[in-house]
Amino acid sequence: MTLLSALLRRTALGVATLFVVSVLIFVGTSILPGDVANIILGQMATPESLAALRTKLGLDEPAHIRYLIWLSDLLSGDLGFSKAGAGTGTVGTPISEMLMPRLINTIRLGGAVAIVAVPFAVTIGLLAAMYPGTRLDRFVTFTTLGLISVPEFLVATLLVLVIAVQLGWLPATAYISGQETGLKLVRALAMPALTLVIVASSQIMRMTRATVLNVMNSPYIEMAILKGVPRRRIILRHALLNAIGPIANVIALNLAYLVSGVVVVETIFAYPGLAKLMIDAVQTRDLPLVQACAMIFCATYIVLIFIADMVSILSNPRLRHPK
Amino acid sequence: MKDIRKFQQMYRDGRMGRRDFMAALGALGVGTAAAAGFLTSAKALAATPQKGGTARYANNLHGPDDQMDPMVFTSGIDYTRGRATYNGLIQMVDGMVLAPELAEEWSANADATEYTFKIRKGVEFHDGSALTADDVAWTMSRHIGEESPSTAKALLAAITEWKVMDSHTVKAMLSSPDSDLPAKLTEKQMKIVKMGTEDFRKGNGTGPFVLESFEPGVRSTHVRNANYWREGANFDALEITGITDPLARANALIAGDVDLINQVNAKSIALVESSETARVISTPTSAYTGICILKNTAPGENDDFVKAMQYIQDRDRIVRSILKGHGTVGNDHPVGPAFGPDHCSELPIREFDPDKAKFHLDKSGVTAAELFVAPVRLGIEEISLLMQANLKKIGFDLTIRKVPSDGYWGAVWMKEPMNVVSWNMRPTANAQLAIQFAPHGNWNDTFWHNDRMGELLKAQLAETDEAKRHAMLCEMQTLVHNGSGMVIPAHVNEVDGASNKIHGIPTVPFGALGAYEWVEFAWMEA
Amino acid sequence: MAETETSFEELPDAPPRRRLRLSWSGKLGVVVVAFWMVIVVIGPSISPYHEADILDEALFIVPGSDNPYPETDYQPPSAVAWLGTDYLGRDTLSRTLFGARTTIGISLASTLLAYLVGVTLGIAAAVGRPVLDSSLSRLNDAILSIPSIMLALIIIAAIGSTIPILIVLTGLIYASTVFRIARSLGLDVKVSDFVEAAKVRGEGLWWIITREILPNVAMPMATDFGLRFVYVILFISSLSFLGLGVQPPQSDWGSMVRESLSGLPYGSIAPLVPAMAIATLTIAINLIVDDVSAHSGGRLARRMI
Repeated sequence: MTLLSALLRRTALGVATLFVVSVLIFVGTSILPGDVANIILGQMATPESLAALRTKLGLDEPAHIRYLIWLSDLLSGDLGFSKAGAGTGTVGTPISEMLMPRLINTIRLGGAVAIVAVPFAVTIGLLAAMYPGTRLDRFVTFTTLGLISVPEFLVATLLVLVIAVQLGWLPATAYISGQETGLKLVRALAMPALTLVIVASSQIMRMTRATVLNVMNSPYIEMAILKGVPRRRIILRHALLNAIGPIANVIALNLAYLVSGVVVVETIFAYPGLAKLMIDAVQTRDLPLVQACAMIFCATYIVLIFIADMVSILSNPRLRHPK
Repeated sequence: MKDIRKFQQMYRDGRMGRRDFMAALGALGVGTAAAAGFLTSAKALAATPQKGGTARYANNLHGPDDQMDPMVFTSGIDYTRGRATYNGLIQMVDGMVLAPELAEEWSANADATEYTFKIRKGVEFHDGSALTADDVAWTMSRHIGEESPSTAKALLAAITEWKVMDSHTVKAMLSSPDSDLPAKLTEKQMKIVKMGTEDFRKGNGTGPFVLESFEPGVRSTHVRNANYWREGANFDALEITGITDPLARANALIAGDVDLINQVNAKSIALVESSETARVISTPTSAYTGICILKNTAPGENDDFVKAMQYIQDRDRIVRSILKGHGTVGNDHPVGPAFGPDHCSELPIREFDPDKAKFHLDKSGVTAAELFVAPVRLGIEEISLLMQANLKKIGFDLTIRKVPSDGYWGAVWMKEPMNVVSWNMRPTANAQLAIQFAPHGNWNDTFWHNDRMGELLKAQLAETDEAKRHAMLCEMQTLVHNGSGMVIPAHVNEVDGASNKIHGIPTVPFGALGAYEWVEFAWMEA
Repeated sequence: MAETETSFEELPDAPPRRRLRLSWSGKLGVVVVAFWMVIVVIGPSISPYHEADILDEALFIVPGSDNPYPETDYQPPSAVAWLGTDYLGRDTLSRTLFGARTTIGISLASTLLAYLVGVTLGIAAAVGRPVLDSSLSRLNDAILSIPSIMLALIIIAAIGSTIPILIVLTGLIYASTVFRIARSLGLDVKVSDFVEAAKVRGEGLWWIITREILPNVAMPMATDFGLRFVYVILFISSLSFLGLGVQPPQSDWGSMVRESLSGLPYGSIAPLVPAMAIATLTIAINLIVDDVSAHSGGRLARRMI
């Protein structure tokens, strides 16, 4: 019952957050210099031609009116049209049509990374926490720190140079058309996924180790130790259970990053995902497209964080039954 | 063996004569008989274009603003798709020669104020409808008028009307003479579309490829037009996409993920050249990147300041070490040596001279300046930084403000007192000068309004005597060189890359890979 | 704060203080961090060239060679440039030395700002009224759900990219992450027995925050701090990937890696030197953090082994 009411409450709050985000994004992109018409005409724009194109593309309404139109369209399930690619024609591209293949690509890549990175990182982090100060712990510490301190684009470029250009094992670009299946898809995803596994694992690993160590400091663990409960049991039953909340949060933030923040990797591997689409949309001032991406990112984030919070609450009896 | 292949390639591309080829192979220690054998195989390849294959092309820019409406084409990916999908009236083939395309023939009246175009018969759009004079007139009329969003309308400013004479004849009526009109019609924006088109994303043209799919910012696919009005393309299909990161693009070419790329940046040239699988194709053009100093405000209103900024350009080093030799020294006017006889070679180059720069700088009394830099063309950031470093040596502190390239043309260019600019090569020297330096023109980005310049631009278009035309062009180049606020340290080559399997790329300097003509004429070794 | 800790055997209002003893790796960390701090101070004055200097071709002429215009970019280490040159022919060593100040300065300032804002608001949300918690959390979620690179893209495109703007922007972006962690940890601590005990004893809110909650969230927060610091360096480098970031010719390590990335295929060490600088600093800071954590949290764990 508490779970259901929490779910309802969170959904309402989530919608409120979405609304806040849409307003923030709209205001943010409105203060950017130029609009779609500026971008389409670029260097060759004149005041007259800009005005004419704006009329044609329906951009001459005041900003707040355009926002309200967008909002009412959204509420009726219509994401609107991207006008950036319409030229001087009146027919734009439906945004849902642009988003779907990108969304699938993003989920594919993010999913591939998460499946590998999360269990791997949590296990290693836990091992390091079980044996702090040992050689294993030091090794894990040095390796993960060494790897996270390397910028993503350096990791990616080194992988391309060695694996694709020198050895020729995998393609240099992860370009996928959507028709790939099986091995072909794995090959296309392998390089960007590898780069992201390296980036995402390290933080999860570090935070798992730190949180578990923190819990080990708690009085009840001390009590358990004094009572002579076996070490493995203490870590797995007690420490881990209590560390789950913060770890879940870190994992959720990393998963959200895999959906929305991997623009560098998408650029280097020419992988058509959502993050790059949103950057492109901002750069072309394609407002409905920016908004649509932002809504997806925001919803993803809200859902992930909700799950993380639920996990924390369920794993901590005190949070489950607040006094 | 790699070198031999490279020379064979050069021979096939016409960049090397027979004699040079034999000499080069001799230098490699290849005997005459064997060299002759290599020559024959190179020739055989050159002689027989093969049909078939899918050519995969990766452009340096792409995004949601990829267009299929030729009138607002602005980037290489649009031009490439445009070349595949549509045709123009007139095209530019190897060696900057005008050739008929959809216009079978054209003629002008005596004073070049009226042009008649005979439109090719039996040409069909991809939707099966026939091409008529109506389509041509409708398409071309879109470029006329103050409100026209056409990105090429400056070239057609003299045209007042396109008249349909009969089903396959159109006339262009001009308000002032323009002997350059046919050359201007080869521009990428002048592709002919179906009359009344509202949805350009379908790409209904007459071109050698039919648009199969078009996802802006992702890719497009094209299949050979079986119903093309001439022999047509060699490739079965095209895949056009974008890879924005320069190193990633070069790596994709080398690794064989794509067959053709544009914009091999200076740092990747050696990488591609040393690969076994691909080559660099470098074509001198008159395109340039430089610094606009606004003449209507401080500090540019001071002529000495402009002179100082021009003398501080280490032009030779820019070409040598920033462009890696893939460019030509600029002379602070837009008509580069790539324009051949139209380039004013009599005008001495303004050499790098820090002492003169310091002299003018001291005289100007300017003590600080701010330059807005956006990556509008490869090399401009490096050029700005070299300028900054050299100014530092003579005791002047130039602040560089790096800004994003999106929104740059609307928010920075023609607004900030010093900003960087990039201009593509126009079809004629007159057009190149007019776009940027016609007094009070829309794109006069240094706000240098010179009456004599205006007179000459008009008069040269009406002049038919070659010697007089050249004298006028030279006077205009000298005017810009001495008076405007434009710093043009270098003209940049068009540097593209192609797989060694791709042959027959024409040499036309107005854009990537033979000004996009590769689409129809190149072919792939099976 | 990390030195304080509370447990059942010790009276909560009289936390014992123990001297922090560093392991060998912690000492190594201190040495490396100290080294970079010295460089931050004296780097520009011991650097052979200025960070903006593009080296003259004349410097690279090989004696006896007839080429008066040798290449200056991506040169290997030599007497002229000890760590070689970058993509523009600038001295990598000088740029790394100058870059220490920019990189560490921006990252430290941004991270501290992120912590100041994030921890303050996070703890406030954890201990404050539900209304405060809820509204802060919603706003935070909104900011956090917008990709940080995109937030930066919009703000920098709109108001420009100066170092103070970069610091505030990065600080606020990361404050939202810190907020979440601080709030979550704060909530966990808030419901723990010793806080309950303190409440029962009638201690004030401020006392509970400073004496109970902060010390207990400090250790995991410190681990996060070590990571956050490097994320800020990397974030600024990814801005340079989009053509934003610090203004040229100023050097920051992340941007230096990016600028000279094209040297990798030629075997240039220009992108690797700043990458090494980032790595050494990151590892060193985190080694110290680990020791601090072990000092407060690892004691029992160590006893168990």
